[in-house]
Amino acid sequence: MSDKQRVSRRQFLNYTLTGVGGFMAAGMLAPMVRFAIDPVLKPSAAGDFQSVASVDEITNEPQRFEWIVDQVDGWYESEVQKTAWVYRTEDDEIVALSPICTHLGCTVDWGSNEEYPDQFYCPCHAGRYTKDGVNVPGTPPTAPLPLFDHKVEEGMLYLGQEQDR
Amino acid sequence: MQWTKSDMELYVLEKEYVDTLVIPLIPLYTEVDSTIVNGAFQRELNHLTTHLLEKDYRGRILLAPDYNYIAENYEEEIRRINQWIEKFNNQPAAHVFLFTFDTKWKRWEKELKGHLLWIPSMSDRNLHSSETRSYVKEQVLQMSELIKAYWE
Repeated sequence: MSDKQRVSRRQFLNYTLTGVGGFMAAGMLAPMVRFAIDPVLKPSAAGDFQSVASVDEITNEPQRFEWIVDQVDGWYESEVQKTAWVYRTEDDEIVALSPICTHLGCTVDWGSNEEYPDQFYCPCHAGRYTKDGVNVPGTPPTAPLPLFDHKVEEGMLYLGQEQDR
Repeated sequence: MQWTKSDMELYVLEKEYVDTLVIPLIPLYTEVDSTIVNGAFQRELNHLTTHLLEKDYRGRILLAPDYNYIAENYEEEIRRINQWIEKFNNQPAAHVFLFTFDTKWKRWEKELKGHLLWIPSMSDRNLHSSETRSYVKEQVLQMSELIKAYWE
């Protein structure tokens, strides 16, 4: 047997202490790392998509679709009815617009004003938006209608959160 | 807009756009047990209806706090309610609507300093059924058409 393979008592103790110390350090650091990246791992409850309509129903003309979401709002937990104006563009893209006027929060209607049959119209203060949801300058709203996140799965349209533009 | 802190903060900034006041009239009955139940049902239905109306026109309609009254002496209440309406005169609310299910107000309509919106109450039904929901929606639609006629 050669001397090279011999482990001295001092070396043995060094290895053992380093190993044990390493485990202890890892045991302390792991929860810290977990805390630090926790918000990233958490599934976002707000990002939930809801099935709203069958894709076949969607036409080039904006249609109103309604669905129900559970909402916890401070003291209250309630079912809230959500609404969207959904249509298909010339390029076969699906567009889902929030019906909440960006001026003071009334509900806008598609083509309800006879003078502007191809615009969204707000009955409160005559705010108008073009078909893509962009506010018409000179009317009260100052921002476009928010767009809903959307995805299509198995022929159904799912809508998520609305995004300001 | 509702009579809540967050809505009122917006209201004081944008009040020139909010020209319509809706006051729910809520009667209080205490004499007979069945009227107590019916009164509470009317109150719930009143809240559902006015909140639905407010939701669609929140940028122009201010939903006032409930006007509660004892359903006995209407002559006296007329005086008090007109006082209440006058209190809003320093606000830019040009149109005042009083919303109720109580038939008795109809008789005093001319003396009120606001437009009376009276619709018949439903008989005691389940508030959360889909028929009730569609009934209330239909009533709200009719009411909003009426209110819009005053806006033009």
